[in-house]
Amino acid sequence: MASPPTTEQDNIKVKKDGSRAILAFEGDLTVYTAADYEAELMGESLSGINELQLDFTKLTHYDSYFVVMLEHVEELCRSRDIKLDVQGMTDDMLRLRQTMEANVKDKIKKKKVQPPITKFVMNIGTSSVTLWKDFRSFVEFIGEFSTSMVQVVANPKSVRWTDFPFHFLRAGVNAVPIVLVIGLLDGFIIAYQSAVQLKDFGATAFLGKLVSRSITREIGPLITAIIVAGRSGSAYAAEIGTMNVSEEVDALRSMGFNIMRFLVVPRVLAVVAAMPILIILADFMGILGGLFAAIIALDMTMVGYFRDIREALIYSDVMGGIFKAVAFGLLVAMVGCFRGLQVSGGAESVGKYTTSAVVTGIFLIVFADAILSIVFQAIGIHK
Amino acid sequence: MKSEAIIEVKGLTVEFDGRTIFQDVSFNINRGEIFVILGGSGCGKSTLLRTLIGLVEPAAGTILIDGEDFTAAAPEEKRLLLRKFGILFQSSGLFASMTLAENVALPLQTYTSLPEDHVMDVISLKLNAVGLKGYEDFLPSEISGGMKKRAGLARAMALDPEILCFDEPSAGLDPITSASLDELIVNLNGALNSTMIVVTHELDSIYRIAHRVIMLDKIEKNIIAEGDPKVLKDSKDERIYNFFNRVPME
Repeated sequence: MASPPTTEQDNIKVKKDGSRAILAFEGDLTVYTAADYEAELMGESLSGINELQLDFTKLTHYDSYFVVMLEHVEELCRSRDIKLDVQGMTDDMLRLRQTMEANVKDKIKKKKVQPPITKFVMNIGTSSVTLWKDFRSFVEFIGEFSTSMVQVVANPKSVRWTDFPFHFLRAGVNAVPIVLVIGLLDGFIIAYQSAVQLKDFGATAFLGKLVSRSITREIGPLITAIIVAGRSGSAYAAEIGTMNVSEEVDALRSMGFNIMRFLVVPRVLAVVAAMPILIILADFMGILGGLFAAIIALDMTMVGYFRDIREALIYSDVMGGIFKAVAFGLLVAMVGCFRGLQVSGGAESVGKYTTSAVVTGIFLIVFADAILSIVFQAIGIHK
Repeated sequence: MKSEAIIEVKGLTVEFDGRTIFQDVSFNINRGEIFVILGGSGCGKSTLLRTLIGLVEPAAGTILIDGEDFTAAAPEEKRLLLRKFGILFQSSGLFASMTLAENVALPLQTYTSLPEDHVMDVISLKLNAVGLKGYEDFLPSEISGGMKKRAGLARAMALDPEILCFDEPSAGLDPITSASLDELIVNLNGALNSTMIVVTHELDSIYRIAHRVIMLDKIEKNIIAEGDPKVLKDSKDERIYNFFNRVPME
């Protein structure tokens, strides 16, 4: 048994007599004092000898490191053709060695070690296959979700609506404070940065137009969706993932519940319902933040700022932004649930897929934003 | 001279949110013995073990480890005292992101100055001792439940601690794996001469491994029996008799 050492000990005595050496151990031989022996064992005491005696007569405390040391010395002696003689080996020492050495019960399944280049190529291949499988699974998931939604429309009672207010509160109401703060700061930053540039060109009259359009069309929906991805997307992945690990999802399936309608639909609908409210608040706070910047940087009046906005902002800007936000919310919530259902194994997997839910969610938000921007321009919603 | 008792528990009380789990519990654990904490579900067996290793703060009472007051010790002293313990958790507690070798290596690399090749040798030795030689590069998710328990034991033994704790070692294991784990516990106890504290309610295991047991009771919130399980089997106390003979309570 090992205890942390409290004092330094000189507990190995080396006696050399011509071609014969004796290593006598005294006191402790444990994992904590092991490094002390290394130099003695590998050092000069073993050079030029053909007979070595290990003496454990005065060894009082030892642990399983004793077995490691013994094996080292035996191997050393074998390789140097030195005759080894062990003295003072007690029955307990022999028993310890037997217990530690003779316990191979399972069939050994050594992992095949690949060279680095093969590993690299294999990793690329594995990642590509995983990505493809992921994409296919997500498309399947979307299909399954759409089918469920059709069933929900046909029979609204098939969804567990009792969960909806709870999820709406978490995804929507609880997100309000952070959306307000971030929205205000975003509007302020955009207006402040733009004001400096616009002043150089004498185009300060365009500040209201620039801020209101960029906030309602792009920044508002984008930032709000990213906040929702960080809050609700990750929470859904972790929650459903943990349920998966603790076999709650299996229990639901075995009881005949439809996982889509029981777990996914209430969560996704809660986010979809919360997004328009969040986006209106984010737009309002963004424009308000812009006002503060306009007053600070350009000495603009509140009336002038809002007059510019009233002339510039059109109905389709706001509605387009809300549409985008709803689409982003749908994607983020679906990805969160999808990743949660992919979890298998343990805590590590929950962490992996929670991270993945946020990363995939943000990627899909930006990707969808790019597509919607082109589409809105093409059909004339945004000019 | 070291005392016979390696752990002395005096008047230990644990409460969660005002709810008493057990009250005024006192017992000793002797050096080198296999000591089993048993009792029905919810009697506080695991909580008692978790209190002994500092994971649960007691509401009252003292725990002396090798004569030193663990409950009153400063955090740094507690950490030093905890190095006398190796713990096998119910769900093994292996770090999922590390291989078995890395799991066993962690305490060796942190607390000793062993050269890296010796660390590898100790890892090999420990995994060999629990029958997992060759599984060094496997992740916990790649091995079975029984193997996880054994790997957890290899990590618990990494520093050859004076006290090895097992929380429900047989839980979820088949009878053969469970029996081999019992055999391993007995062999290690003999070979390392370490003190073993086992929390279980598996009767077969108790008879096979225990030198001495204490039995906790949910209603009494205290120890209702202490001694040799083979003797307690014939106890006149109905609660004890029923437990050891698998008789349902009326």
